[in-house]
Amino acid sequence: MKAVRNERFMKVTTYLLLIAWAVFVLFPLYWMLTTSFKSKLDVFLGPKYIPWVDFRPIVQWWIRIFTVEREEVIRPLINSIVVASISSLLAVLLGTMAAYGLTRFKFKFGPLRNHDILVWIVSQRMMPPIVIALALFLMFKVVNLLDTRLGMTLIYTAFNLPIAVWMMRNFLSQIPISIEEAAMVDGASRSQIFFRVVLPLTLPSLAATFLLCFIFAWNEFLFALILTFDKASTMPILIASQHFQRGPQWWDISVMSTVAIAPVVIIALSLQRYFVKGLIPISK
Amino acid sequence: MPMTNILSSFRGKKAGRAFILPAVIILLLLTIFPFLFSLFLSFGKVSFLGGLQIHFAGLKNWLRLFNDERFYNALSNTVLIAVIAVAMEYVLGLGLVLLLNRGVKGSTFFRVLFFLPMMLTPIAVGYMWRMMFNPTRGPINHVLPLLGLPAVGWLTEPKIVLYSIILTDIWQWTPFMILILFAGLQSIPPALLEAAKVDGASGWRLFREIIFPLLIPASIAAILLRTIEVLKIVDKIYILTGGGPGIYSESMTLFGYSLGLRAFDLAYGATIAFSLFATILVISIIFLLMTRRSQEISLE
Repeated sequence: MKAVRNERFMKVTTYLLLIAWAVFVLFPLYWMLTTSFKSKLDVFLGPKYIPWVDFRPIVQWWIRIFTVEREEVIRPLINSIVVASISSLLAVLLGTMAAYGLTRFKFKFGPLRNHDILVWIVSQRMMPPIVIALALFLMFKVVNLLDTRLGMTLIYTAFNLPIAVWMMRNFLSQIPISIEEAAMVDGASRSQIFFRVVLPLTLPSLAATFLLCFIFAWNEFLFALILTFDKASTMPILIASQHFQRGPQWWDISVMSTVAIAPVVIIALSLQRYFVKGLIPISK
Repeated sequence: MPMTNILSSFRGKKAGRAFILPAVIILLLLTIFPFLFSLFLSFGKVSFLGGLQIHFAGLKNWLRLFNDERFYNALSNTVLIAVIAVAMEYVLGLGLVLLLNRGVKGSTFFRVLFFLPMMLTPIAVGYMWRMMFNPTRGPINHVLPLLGLPAVGWLTEPKIVLYSIILTDIWQWTPFMILILFAGLQSIPPALLEAAKVDGASGWRLFREIIFPLLIPASIAAILLRTIEVLKIVDKIYILTGGGPGIYSESMTLFGYSLGLRAFDLAYGATIAFSLFATILVISIIFLLMTRRSQEISLE
């Protein structure tokens, strides 16, 4: 009897704790989303919690962002989409090539073997961005890459390469080499094998890696803060500048922030399984 | 190298090199070179009068750094945030992973939800919590008096502001601990746990003698990676407080940015940035040395 009661008690406690953490996770998101539908008065007389109960939701701010503020928002939005997409594409392409090389060939540069090269590439992530950002500011100034999409694309490619190499190495090392050997017997060259056999086989992994890189580039702040100031500014810079330009217009900030996190939420919720698989190689 | 050479190099014995070379070149140009350039800058003086000029300045920047109280302030803020945030995130992450592993219904739903915050744009997260912490219109200060507690100046009290930043970091990054520890837990063979249960181990003993020791490698990886990341903290602070009140919540990266670009002393900014790199390196090495024994134990 006692054991059964004890077990039920444990189960209820487990649920309560999980639900408590879920509320902790969701509430700030809920707060931001609802604030984007509040009138100025409801924000300043707040806090107001539940739409239709203690405030009347309005869509005015959402309409404004696509009309009055369109000019201001559209360029950073396009910059973010273009820079994050192209840099992620490059990072995945170059990263997959490197991962392929590291899993299919034996290297020896002086004392460095495959594992050392992998560690060298991945450890670049340890570097604090501020160290290279200040130097890049000078370098980009000299070669006229400051405040350009090209410059941002290049730096985000380098920024995402370690993660792309790491993920693709984990995926590629799970593909049996025998398929490639069969292609080689048929007389295919290495580049043909890579582009026609390996890439199609790893399409889901490529997509997962691309989207993770995309999220990192989409979210990145410090490089954009230092290396852009107008033409090539991204969404995080636009949102960060709101407070300084017009004071805390929380409704506008909430709309823009929701726009910024919406694609990330969709990607993260639908593809999480793949991210976990690629990031952490589980050996069984 | 002409195009034909690149293509033919995919075929011969050197084929392997052609695959890794592009990635290596990008990293050398855009990470390693700026890194060395930054080190060089920390011994120089940058001036823009009559074009870009860099003069050698010896140890001037470094001496200034070691006599700069603002440096010690930023360093201790950053390390304090890192130590407390990572410790809390680890404990919470471990607890949540164990809860998720109890085979309750809907555990997949909870897991997917729990992972979410770490993917979100840090600037948006900063604003989210700035609204939560708002002194008069934020929900936190609205609820506290209802519970008989005093309202708190979350982002304006010098003694509290760092803990508000830590809370925000816990919200966003506990998921990382859950991610790694969950994978670690999955790789424990179920047969091992069954055998231990047959032997009469349960609850706390099962955790202490079987599960926790097997989670040590994952724990070390999770703590190290998270520590390295949180030492670079800047974006959430930039939005939450801008380093204020005064410089009470200034982190190393924010300090380097302010001096390097706002005060436009790039050489001194590079010095600050490099000292952060050195800090991260030293802390990582100490941590790895400290945990070497337990790593060896877990390998046996």
